Amino acid sequence: MKTAWDVGLLFRRYLTQLLRNPVWVIVGFSTPILYLALFTPLLRHLAGSGGLPTGNVLDLFLPGILSLLAYASGIGPGFSTIFELKAGVIERFRVTPASRFAILIGPILASMLMMLVFDAVVVAVGAGFGFSVHWAGLVVLAVLLGLLMVTVAAWSIATALITKEISGFAAIANGINLPILLLAGVLLPISLGPAWMRVIAHFNPLYYLVQASRVLAGGTLSGTAVWQAFAVLVPLCLLVLTWATRVFRTAVA
Amino acid sequence: MTAVENVISTRDLRKSFRAKGGGRKGGGRKGGGGRKGEGGRVEAVRGISIDVRRGEVFGFLGPNGAGKTTTLRMLTTLLPIGSGTATVAGFDVARQPKQVRQRIGYVSQLGGADELATGRENLILQGRLYGAPLAEVAPRAAELAGLLDLGEFADRRVSTYSGGQRRRLDIALGIVHQPQVLFLDEPTTGLDPQSRANLWDHIRALRERGTTVFLTTHYLDEADVLCDRLMIMDHGQVVAEGTPRALKQQVAGDAIVITLRPGEHGTENAVPVLAGEPYVRELAASDGQVRLYVDDGGTALPQLIRVLDGRGIGIRSISMSEPTLDDVFLRQTGRSLREEGADGDGAAGSEAKEVAA
Repeated sequence: MKTAWDVGLLFRRYLTQLLRNPVWVIVGFSTPILYLALFTPLLRHLAGSGGLPTGNVLDLFLPGILSLLAYASGIGPGFSTIFELKAGVIERFRVTPASRFAILIGPILASMLMMLVFDAVVVAVGAGFGFSVHWAGLVVLAVLLGLLMVTVAAWSIATALITKEISGFAAIANGINLPILLLAGVLLPISLGPAWMRVIAHFNPLYYLVQASRVLAGGTLSGTAVWQAFAVLVPLCLLVLTWATRVFRTAVA
Repeated sequence: MTAVENVISTRDLRKSFRAKGGGRKGGGRKGGGGRKGEGGRVEAVRGISIDVRRGEVFGFLGPNGAGKTTTLRMLTTLLPIGSGTATVAGFDVARQPKQVRQRIGYVSQLGGADELATGRENLILQGRLYGAPLAEVAPRAAELAGLLDLGEFADRRVSTYSGGQRRRLDIALGIVHQPQVLFLDEPTTGLDPQSRANLWDHIRALRERGTTVFLTTHYLDEADVLCDRLMIMDHGQVVAEGTPRALKQQVAGDAIVITLRPGEHGTENAVPVLAGEPYVRELAASDGQVRLYVDDGGTALPQLIRVLDGRGIGIRSISMSEPTLDDVFLRQTGRSLREEGADGDGAAGSEAKEVAA
C-alpha cells in the first residue's frame, strides 16, 4: 500500500521533471521522426531485393524504430540517475522511509509513459507515409516494448548506481549500444547476416523484441516470435528488477 | 533509561572500505584520513562510541577525511554498519532502519532538492514520502517556508535560489516530518559569512523547539559557537570529547605564539631554551614559529622575551591568545586544524564528490 503510494509520488515527480526540461522533450520527439525521415528514403529501393520482403518498407522498418526507441528510453534513466546521485537527490530519497522499489520504478514508469507517447507519434506519422496499422498487434507490441524498456531501464539505473561516475557509465552504455542494436536487426533484419551472427543474436533480448515487433505490426498475434519474446522478456524483466532493487538497498555507498 | 535520555547511542562503531587506486593521493576514500589496515582496506571509522542527549546540538569536528561523514551515513541508514552497534531515536540502525528513517532528518552536503521544482513542491513531496496526506503537508510546507525565511521564494524554482536560501530549504526538507533528530553534514560549507551566521540562528531555533541536532563541521568557530557538546575526530577515532568550554580548559592557561627572525636557526636554538623554563607547560615548534602554553600569559610574556633576548635569539613578533578548539586539536594530534582546513578547500570538493558516490 505504502509502496503504491510512493510509486505514484515518485512517478509524478519524475514526469514533472521531464516535462519541465524542454530540450529533452524536443530531442525525444525529434529523434524517432528523424529516423523515419532519413532512413525511409534510403531503404525504399531495398524492398524486394536481397531477401527483404516486398511491400511498403515502413512495415518492416517502423517496428524496428519502436524497438530502438524502447531500448534508448531505457538507457536514459541511467544517465539521470548519475545526475541525481551527484545532486544528492537519490540520497535524500533513500533516507526517507519511501520504498526502495518505488525509488527505482517511479522514474522508470514515467519514462515509459513518455516512450508510449513518442511511439504513438511515430505510428501516426508512419501511417501518413503508408505504414499499415493493425491495432490489436500494436497493443500487444506496446506491452512488449514496455517490458523491454523496464528491463533496460532497471539495468541502466543499477549500473549507474554501481559505477557512480558519468565516465564509467557512459563507457559501458556506449560500449554495448552498437552490438546490441546490430545484433538485434533493429534497422536491418538479422536474416541478412551470416549464420554465426544469427546464432549470437539469440543471446540478445532486443532481438526477440524486434522479431516479435515485425510479426505483431503485421497483424499476427500468435506467431512463434511473439511467444518467444514474452517467454524471454517476462522472466528477464523480473530478474533485473529484483537485482536493481537490491542494488538500491545496498550498493549505494 | 539510556534509550530515553540518549537519542543517539553507539558502541565501538567501525567501518572500513576496500582501498581503491592505491597510488592515488589520499589513498582511496575521502581525503586520506583513514588508516590502511590489513588486506588493502581503509579503516574510515575506528571504534566510535557516542551518546547524544535529547535536545542538544552535538558536533563532530575534524579535518576532511576524519571519518565524520562516514559515521553520519551509518547513523542515517545510508551505509551498512561495519561492526559495533548504533541506536538512533530508540531503534537499532542495522535491524530497524525503517523505524529509524521515520524519526530522523538528514541534510547531506549536497542538499539534493529538485532544481526544476519550486521550494514548496519540494517540501510537499518530501512530506508525502513520509506518508502524510496532502491536507497535512500543505500547511506544514507553508509553516516551514515561514520559519526558515523562504516565504517569498517558496513558489520559485530552486534553480533560482542563492546558496543561503538553498541551504535553508535543505534544512526545511530535513525537518518536514518533525524528526526527533536532525543530522546536518557540513551545513555551512561554501556559504558566505552572513549566510553562515543566519543559518546558525536557524539551527539554534531548532534546538529551542526541541529537536536534537547532530552536525559535522571542519570549522572551529562553528563548533565553538553552535555546539553544546562535541567530539573531535581524527583518522577515524575520537581524540577529545566534551563541551567546547571544557575542551578548551584542558589546554590550561594561554597560548603564546612566538615568530622568530628568519635565517638564524632561531627555532633550533629557542626550543631547548624555552622548554627549560618552568612555567612553560607545553610547546610545539614549526618552521620559524614556536607555540607554547603557559598558565598565565600576562606574567610569562615579559619573562619569555627576556630569556630569548638574553640568548641573542631574535624575535620578530609575539602574540598571546586564549586557547581555541584548534589548540585542543593541535595538542591531541600534533597538527593544526587550520592548516588542514586551508588545504582542505581543494579536498572539500573531492569529499563532496565521494559523498555523492
